Amino acid sequence: MSHRTDLHGDVAEILLDEAEISAKVRELGARISVDYAGRQLTLVSVLKGSLPFMADLMRAIEIPVRIDLMEVSSYGGTATESSGLVRILKDLSASIADEDVLIVEDIIDTGLTLNYLIRYLRGKAPATLRICTLLDKPARRLVEIPVDYTGFTIPDQFVVGYGLDYGELYRNLRYVGVLRPEVYSEVAGG
Amino acid sequence: MSVPFAHASEAEMSRILDFYAVRWEYEPHTFPILWNLDGDVVESFSPDFYLPDLELYLEMTTLRQKLVRKKNRKLRRLRELYPDLNVKLFYARDFRALMLKYGKLALFDGLSGSSGQVASPYEPPAAADLADALPLADVLALAEAPVVAVEPVGDRPTTRRRRGAAASTATKGPSIR
Repeated sequence: MSHRTDLHGDVAEILLDEAEISAKVRELGARISVDYAGRQLTLVSVLKGSLPFMADLMRAIEIPVRIDLMEVSSYGGTATESSGLVRILKDLSASIADEDVLIVEDIIDTGLTLNYLIRYLRGKAPATLRICTLLDKPARRLVEIPVDYTGFTIPDQFVVGYGLDYGELYRNLRYVGVLRPEVYSEVAGG
Repeated sequence: MSVPFAHASEAEMSRILDFYAVRWEYEPHTFPILWNLDGDVVESFSPDFYLPDLELYLEMTTLRQKLVRKKNRKLRRLRELYPDLNVKLFYARDFRALMLKYGKLALFDGLSGSSGQVASPYEPPAAADLADALPLADVLALAEAPVVAVEPVGDRPTTRRRRGAAASTATKGPSIR
């Protein structure tokens, strides 16, 4: 990826500002606190995009929770070579058997990654397995997955910020925004 | 067994589905959508992919507007005749978004439109590679299980070819979504 120097200047439009995100996270945290009151909840987040959301959401939840982190490989194949299968790069650090588990996602678009994760986590026999996502982009959905907690349904645009990256950059934006198209073309052009 | 994809974007989509352990079949069914007065089929539609576990047909389009309009028309007809079929039309812009997401936007021009028409037959990786690559016992079972014949609602499709998930090695991509 070409060297980028202007973090905010690369953003064409702010889709969700810091205040909107913060309010929504508090709202989700309150709902989860009520729904899981008296139960043993484990939040499972998927690195790296979900980190900011996980950090804020867990602090918005007013019941005791455990947290765990996973990382899976992402598709990066080329036109001429097979890219293999998704791999668990970092597995859960503790058993979730008979636990109430809530997957914390940054965004759901095709649903391919989440579909894989659900199948994987179901194999670990949790008592319940539900999904919380900050962003939902249904226009790109290939795998229909019931989502229990949704922060925002967003239009069919490629977004960055608040954990979401393009070429591993822009995760540290405090808002969710749309990149300028020339950023893609510069990167695509080498 | 190589799969003779008609378009490079289809081959790329097959690799993405393989990566996420989603079983697929390439053009397994042909649906008649127009008949002449004698009852002979004069037009039919064969969606590019069938994903049996999701009960979903996937049709991919190119950048050529004329072809997109034709496919939209055929898809409308298909949905009228077979309302229970779950068919998703994957436009060029959808494919571009996928490539953008996986940090492969530079590939988009090479895989889209007329320049993508000549696709190398996709050679599925050897089954032996699966044992090392798969962390999921159930995914492995899926890959090795015999494919169940699928009979779409409404008519008798023509079975052309089918296959299951397979792959070789994993790579670390730019992001996970």
